[in-house]
Amino acid sequence: MNAIELSHIQKSFGEFAIRDLNLTVPSGTICGLVGENGAGKSTTIRLLMNALRPDGGTARVLGVDVTTPEFRAVKEDVGVVLDEAYYPETLTAVQVGKVMAGTYRRWDQGTYDGFLRRFDLPGKKPFKDFSRGMKMKLAIAVALSHQPKLLILDEATSGLDPIVRDEVLDIFNEFTREEDHSILISSHIVSDLEKLCDYIAFLHKGQLLFFDGKDQLLETYGVFAGTAEQMGSLREEAVVGREAGGCGGVRALVRRDGVPAGLELERATVEDIILFMVKGAKK
Amino acid sequence: MKALILKDFYVLWKQMRMIMLILILMSVVGGVFNSVFVTVWCSMLPFTAIAYDERSHWNQLAAMMPYSKRDIVLSKYALGWLSMAAAIVLSLVFQTAAAVFTHEAPALSTWAVSFLGGVMALDFTLPMVFRFGVEKGRWGFMIIVFGVALLGGAAAGMAEELPGVPVPVLALLLLAAAVATAVSIPLSMKLYQVN
Repeated sequence: MNAIELSHIQKSFGEFAIRDLNLTVPSGTICGLVGENGAGKSTTIRLLMNALRPDGGTARVLGVDVTTPEFRAVKEDVGVVLDEAYYPETLTAVQVGKVMAGTYRRWDQGTYDGFLRRFDLPGKKPFKDFSRGMKMKLAIAVALSHQPKLLILDEATSGLDPIVRDEVLDIFNEFTREEDHSILISSHIVSDLEKLCDYIAFLHKGQLLFFDGKDQLLETYGVFAGTAEQMGSLREEAVVGREAGGCGGVRALVRRDGVPAGLELERATVEDIILFMVKGAKK
Repeated sequence: MKALILKDFYVLWKQMRMIMLILILMSVVGGVFNSVFVTVWCSMLPFTAIAYDERSHWNQLAAMMPYSKRDIVLSKYALGWLSMAAAIVLSLVFQTAAAVFTHEAPALSTWAVSFLGGVMALDFTLPMVFRFGVEKGRWGFMIIVFGVALLGGAAAGMAEELPGVPVPVLALLLLAAAVATAVSIPLSMKLYQVN
């Protein structure tokens, strides 16, 4: 079963539109959703959770069409962390726990209390006095405390210091050890996604530029660094994007299968692939 | 829905304590205006709760949780009803206790009129606030609450001169409040927008 299936999703907001979005996240995997600000990541998440109605297309989560009444029960299995949407500011972590205990049927107070201790979150401090990192940690604690099968995380690691971020990534990895557990995570921190994800989806101006297995991506692309003259000898179709390198040289993202076999290429990171694609520097 | 009411209760707890203190003071003073004032104040608590929700973008988060739109909308009405009912019950208790000294029996029918007025104030204002938000809906909300308070105060004032509010008037008010609520809740559900 697929954890997430978006099929030909369309949603227009006037100038901005999600166009023909197709995305399938197999169960048991972690998919990273990358894109610049305003690319449509949060909109995609809202469409996925039926918080927004699409103009066209269908969305299914854990096998259920999100527009059907049955989807409300499916929400019990989905833990969500949103960027910039929090609990009311006067609530404390203890009160949030009590509210969530009345919200989720499988709420596990022991797990929640464990996360509060692990993240060093104060139980009785009002939410408004939390730092952004603390707010995200509380949201992550809630998302993981009702025995979800799918985590949907919108910029969940932003605002966390590197040590906690690493710990949180470990927790997410731990979560997917269960074979039916899956994660969709959007982040600006591409290195986090590279560390964590099996699949990478790249949204640009409301369109999915690519959706591929991370290993597949890294095998497909390489970075060429050389002179403009060497660059000129490469087939144009093999070059995805280029930029000026140091000392008059050129750097380019190339498809490995399009360049001569002996040509030495640097390993491309996911960040390289995305940056070259966004820049559209191919001439 | 209980979880949502509990959340609002936590959010408003400080204000509720203040209301309780004012209730005690007013119960000692007594008078019809006080009952209308306290009830109208309590009927405004859902708007304060909505304002807190808007500030934290709670509704976006709630849309991800297993709450139905009906739960979210109905919880605000229920919060208003419960707050008003609790204020009235507490006030009656305090007034009965104060009657030992003031020898003034609490006027049940006046409280009933106040409660029904408060219910109708919620019925008229909540759909607007669900559609436009607290900030944009503020003026319409103020006009309606002011109007209801004025009418309620006048009605309660007239009632003060009578031995009690006539039963047909109470029955009519009850019917009006029931009809207004039956129209208002579905309308709010239709107009509710995730801010």
